[in-house]
Amino acid sequence: MSAFMRALPRRMRPSGLLVNLSLVAICIVCLFPVAWTISSSLKIGEEIYSVTPRLIPRKPSLENYIWMLTRPDMSALPLNLWNSLKVTMGAILLQCTVATLAGFAFGRLNFRGRDLLFYLLVMLMFIPRAGGLMALYELMEYLHLRNTHIGLILLYPAAISVALFVMRQNFLAVPRELEEAAIIDGAGTMKLLWHVDIPFVRGGIAVVAIWEFIYVWGEYLIALTMLDFPELETVAIAVTKLRGWSAHFTSRVITPYGSESAAYVVAMLPMVLAFVLLQKWFVRGLSEGILKM
Amino acid sequence: MAETSTAQKVDEVRARGMRAVAVETVRELVRLREQRWGNLWGYALIAPAVILYLIFEAWPIVRGVFMAFSDYRWLLRETHGLGGFNGLDNWRELFADPTFWRSLKISAQFSVMFMPIALGLSLFTATMISKVQNGKAAAVYRVVAYMPVVLPVTVAMLVWGKLYDVQFGYINVLLEKLGVANPPNWLGSPKVALYSMVPPTIWLRFGEWTLLFLIGIYNINREIYEAARVDGAGGFAQWLYITMPLLKPVFTLVLVLGTGIIGATVESMALFQGTTGGPGQAALTTGVYSYRTAFISGDMRMGYAASMSLFVGLVNMAITGGIFAIMRTERN
Repeated sequence: MSAFMRALPRRMRPSGLLVNLSLVAICIVCLFPVAWTISSSLKIGEEIYSVTPRLIPRKPSLENYIWMLTRPDMSALPLNLWNSLKVTMGAILLQCTVATLAGFAFGRLNFRGRDLLFYLLVMLMFIPRAGGLMALYELMEYLHLRNTHIGLILLYPAAISVALFVMRQNFLAVPRELEEAAIIDGAGTMKLLWHVDIPFVRGGIAVVAIWEFIYVWGEYLIALTMLDFPELETVAIAVTKLRGWSAHFTSRVITPYGSESAAYVVAMLPMVLAFVLLQKWFVRGLSEGILKM
Repeated sequence: MAETSTAQKVDEVRARGMRAVAVETVRELVRLREQRWGNLWGYALIAPAVILYLIFEAWPIVRGVFMAFSDYRWLLRETHGLGGFNGLDNWRELFADPTFWRSLKISAQFSVMFMPIALGLSLFTATMISKVQNGKAAAVYRVVAYMPVVLPVTVAMLVWGKLYDVQFGYINVLLEKLGVANPPNWLGSPKVALYSMVPPTIWLRFGEWTLLFLIGIYNINREIYEAARVDGAGGFAQWLYITMPLLKPVFTLVLVLGTGIIGATVESMALFQGTTGGPGQAALTTGVYSYRTAFISGDMRMGYAASMSLFVGLVNMAITGGIFAIMRTERN
């Protein structure tokens, strides 16, 4: 028996089989809700209410998507997507710029109080935002930044602790010799940053950008508090308000269940795509930014 | 001619000398300044980050604490600023407010259900993935397990809302097929509403913890396991006596991240469509109650809501401190 077991390739042994089986089960649970939503979004008419639901639709159709994206009287989804895109891109740009400059200063320059300032900025992350939302509401109102996208673009990158940490780590890893060579050639501080250091920390910048993307695209509470008008809302808010009106709409082809599913797919698609395409950066970001703290 | 040229030369030398002295003085000043303050570019480059941070992060924290001690109502101008200061009145009201204590109990219940399952599941998944020999398969498992984490919280909750649908949701269709006569109304019944919130939240968060545990496991030196194997330790013994103790920093991190979820604010608001807290307010966590008090009901009592969230924040801080303390003593 044991000789037979040893003859089997490693992954065929019972323990390996058990490992893979349990992992496949976990993966199915992870994927099923998303797969079910995609499947529902492709079903039209009676099929959605079928007694024996199938994961692969019998007659897949894009009707739900077309309806969701082209009914301006009911759904402002394209506008909401555009809002999300604007806010997310703005926040990423600002966060990356600010974190890169500060990360360079903290990792590469000598100035008084440098380490104290750095640890203050990072450690305040652990102080809970008690009453933060109420105070933010007041602050943004006084700054006339409520109901503006600029307000959100300024607000989101202010949560800078993790980005700062990642960028400092990256700048610390730039080889000293390179900088020394540039200094001998007479390069000033800014030239050093632009020509010597930045090319080395592109990976770190990518990591910061991706994290900000996840955070801002899905952020709900702050955006909900700061934006009063439907035409300003981001996708993360807009999807929560669909159920109210689509229940009133009855059609034999478009069902609330199917059309809402289509909206959810549209809202999560950018994240899923970005994640699948850029997943090695996610892992790098986690291991670099958080675990080493 | 010669005299003028001599005079010119003298002038020139003198000028050059003065310039040299000036340059030397400036250099000395720069040197002194650098000795005292270092490279001034440093301050210039961190300024944008510090300014953003002070305005949008630090100030709200300070202001929130002040708000917690005032009868701040957004719609009543005269209560803004110092006028609304009311000492400990908010706190007296808070300790006598049954809805608040109920919401705190709901939050605690939720965490007690959520934490052990999510922790166990992510540790289990990470251990399993680390056992997979095939690099490509391991990568696929990692990606799939992490995928829900990147989804917007609201969308994830709504997707589960569809699965929970009484009539057409997949869960109940499945249960009916398995012979359950009256499957529960997951989101509509006060008895099960809070429980219904747990699986989606676990689904959404456990991937992040899995990846953290996994990175921790990958960072453990292989030689330690080799040594243990030579000493005759089996797979489970290795896991218990090597993996677990060496994962302690990751445990600390995961537990600290987990205490942040106690609010479960967005989860409840997305799943139950607003700040109602679900059927019979069964899922009215403190976060939702505080949000409702500040932004939805009456004259927007931000002061009272700030007291609530300050209370929860202090509890969070105490728990975090406790976690750090326990983890440190166990290390020694």
